[in-house]
Amino acid sequence: MSLEIRSLYKNFDDVTLFSDFSVAFQEGTITCILGPSGCGKTTLLNIIGGIIEPDSGQMTGFREKTISYIFQDPRLLPWKTVEENIEFVLGRDIAAEQRKKISGQLIKLMELEDFTAYYPSKLSGGMRQRVSIARAFAYPSDIILMDEPLKGLDIKLKLNLIRIFSRMWQTDKRTVVFVTHDVDEALLLGSDIIVLSGPPAQIILKKRIDLPYEKRSLESEYLKKLEQNLMEALGN
Amino acid sequence: MKISFTGKNYISLASVICMLIVWKILSLHFDSDFVLPSPEKTLITTLTLFGDGRFLGIVGTTVARGLIGFIISVVLGIGTGILTGLNPYADAFLRPVLVTIRSIPVISIILLALIWFNPGSVPVFIGMLTMFPFITTNVSDGIRSIDRELVVMATFYKVSRERIVRELYIPAIMPFIVSGASSALGIGWRAIIIGEVLSQPVYGIGTMMQNAQTFLNIDAVIAWTIVAVLISYAFEKMIRWLEHKLVVWRS
Repeated sequence: MSLEIRSLYKNFDDVTLFSDFSVAFQEGTITCILGPSGCGKTTLLNIIGGIIEPDSGQMTGFREKTISYIFQDPRLLPWKTVEENIEFVLGRDIAAEQRKKISGQLIKLMELEDFTAYYPSKLSGGMRQRVSIARAFAYPSDIILMDEPLKGLDIKLKLNLIRIFSRMWQTDKRTVVFVTHDVDEALLLGSDIIVLSGPPAQIILKKRIDLPYEKRSLESEYLKKLEQNLMEALGN
Repeated sequence: MKISFTGKNYISLASVICMLIVWKILSLHFDSDFVLPSPEKTLITTLTLFGDGRFLGIVGTTVARGLIGFIISVVLGIGTGILTGLNPYADAFLRPVLVTIRSIPVISIILLALIWFNPGSVPVFIGMLTMFPFITTNVSDGIRSIDRELVVMATFYKVSRERIVRELYIPAIMPFIVSGASSALGIGWRAIIIGEVLSQPVYGIGTMMQNAQTFLNIDAVIAWTIVAVLISYAFEKMIRWLEHKLVVWRS
């Protein structure tokens, strides 16, 4: 099964971001979209998420799906604790007890047990982003959209978050569309990597990595070679 | 309540003592209870006020006027604040009205209110009119300060409209309402007492001040002033306490 966008057109002010752009995502995998800033990556996510309407184009498979969004900034409610922020996206049709159970599990997976009752102002940037990731997983979605959530974090935090994210993802393998300009993130998380140039956006390279996450190392020959490929593509 | 005496507290205490000393020196200099009674005499007068059977009725009436005026201004202020915060046209329309209300001297409003209302309602009207613009402006600023991206997030996750209002909008504007209420009450109490002095309702701190002044009971004028200051201080404390309760989430 795949999710498809065909013949997408979108202008923003005087800039043509998408002109007859098509792309497909494999369900149950993580697709990384790699590209320079301004190439329309975030707009693509917003179109998939329905936040922005395209000028024209066909989207197959998205409409009947529920979607979570991990924004670039964590977007937590400052007056809600870690736990309350995660439960915020759970509909009130879910019983309070069940909501607590869901948030509890995610808090554990996200290694936030000691901070359950903390307000965001008391958390570090990396922890806030973990709450935002937990919230996205708490929401009963089929697709998770991610807009560079690791931007601005130092390399150690980044690797740690990638480790936690991939572990969490393994539990129910939702379809993930992950936008970034960081090659390492793409190498560590992507099953499919799509390199964009633009605007207007164009796919200039497509790669598939079949290696399971726990076997991926940025030091390995395989990923190093791939990294070079991606860097060259991005350099164009 | 526990009060810890830090260095700053000692300096504030010294400042109060200095004021009392200056007061004492001036009262010795004028040597007349009709000009400036001594601090001791005033203190005794103040304490006798507390013992007066009518005291609670007088203070209670003034406080009730203040609260009624305050509640009306909060309700109206939140309404117009939300309207002007969300709609730039409503804001453009109401801004001159608010500026006008704020610029009119309190005494002009009182003189007009004396013609329009009965003596007991004049202070309520004055209080309401002086407090209302503060609440409106603050609520309006609060609405405009709401992070649009949080609203996008909540809408994206299909959180119901009703929960977005209750769990996002209201907590976001709460600190603004509280700080508006604090400034409003600061000005409001003074306006209400001026209103009472001039409208002379049967009960009221202002009425008592005016009566005392007529009979040259200067110590009573000052004693009632002290009562008014204490009430104002108590409300300020209550608002601060409320603020503290409401915004624990701030770092």
